[in-house]
Amino acid sequence: MKTSFRDQGNVRIVAVEGDVDLNSSGELRRVLFAALGGVNRLVINLGGIRYLDSSGIATLIEVLKECQKTKTEFALFAMSPAVHEVFRLTHVIKIFRVYENEEQAVGGGA
Amino acid sequence: MGTSVESSAVRSRSGVRFKAEWRLPSDPAFLPVVRGAMERLCAVFGWDESEARSITLAIDEALTNVIRHAYHKRPDGVIEFICEEKEGVLEFLVSDTGDAPDLAKICARARESHAAGGMGTHIIRDVMDTSDYRRAGMANHLIMTKRLKRSAESS
Repeated sequence: MKTSFRDQGNVRIVAVEGDVDLNSSGELRRVLFAALGGVNRLVINLGGIRYLDSSGIATLIEVLKECQKTKTEFALFAMSPAVHEVFRLTHVIKIFRVYENEEQAVGGGA
Repeated sequence: MGTSVESSAVRSRSGVRFKAEWRLPSDPAFLPVVRGAMERLCAVFGWDESEARSITLAIDEALTNVIRHAYHKRPDGVIEFICEEKEGVLEFLVSDTGDAPDLAKICARARESHAAGGMGTHIIRDVMDTSDYRRAGMANHLIMTKRLKRSAESS
C-alpha cells in the first residue's frame, strides 16, 4: 500500500493505492490520523485501491468517528466497483459521504 | 516456513475433481498470495468478476480472523487451507491450532452497526452458502461452501 497527500486550501486530499488488508490497515490508520490536523476537510481518493478488506473499512470508520469528534468533514471519492462491493457487504456505505470525483469531494455539498 | 500447494486437477469436465491444499504461516504477508489464486480459481469455475471478488474476500476474512483472533497476529502459527470441489459445491476448510473462537461473538455485531469491528464473519455468512465452525481436539475448523455456478444455474 502507498499513500500520498496534498492540501488544497483547507482541504487535505489523501490518495491510497494498492492493497488495504490486515498487513497494511494499521499503517493506513496511522497515516490518516496524522493527516487530520490543521484542515477543515479530509478527503480520501480510493481510486488506486486494488483490494480492500474489512480491516480497511474499520480503519475508515475510526477516522470518520475521529473527524466527527474534531468537527472535520470527511469524504471519500473515486470508489471502484470492487471497493464499492466491500462497502456494500459491510453495510456501512450510508455513514460516509461518497463522491464520484475529487472536484465534488473537495467542494462538498449534498 | 513456506507455502505448499497440491493441485490434483482442474474442473470436473475432466472427470477429476479439483482439490488444493495449502499450508500457510499465520503471516499476513501471505494473504495476497491466496487472494490471487482464489480469484483465478473462481474464474475457472465460472463465477463472474464480482462473484469471484466476493468469494475471495470471504476467504481472506476467514484467514484474517485466524491470524488476528486465533494466533493474535503471531506469524509462527500454522493455517491449513483446503479448497475442494465436491458434489455441486466448492468447499473451503480453514484450520488452525490457535485459540478457539468465542462462538457467542461470531456475527454478534448487528448487521447495520457502525462499529469498526466484527464485519468479517458477516461477510463470510453473506457470501458463502454455508459456514460452520467446529472444534476438534486442539484444532479449530471453519468449513464454508459455495454452490458451483453450473449447479446453481441448472437447479
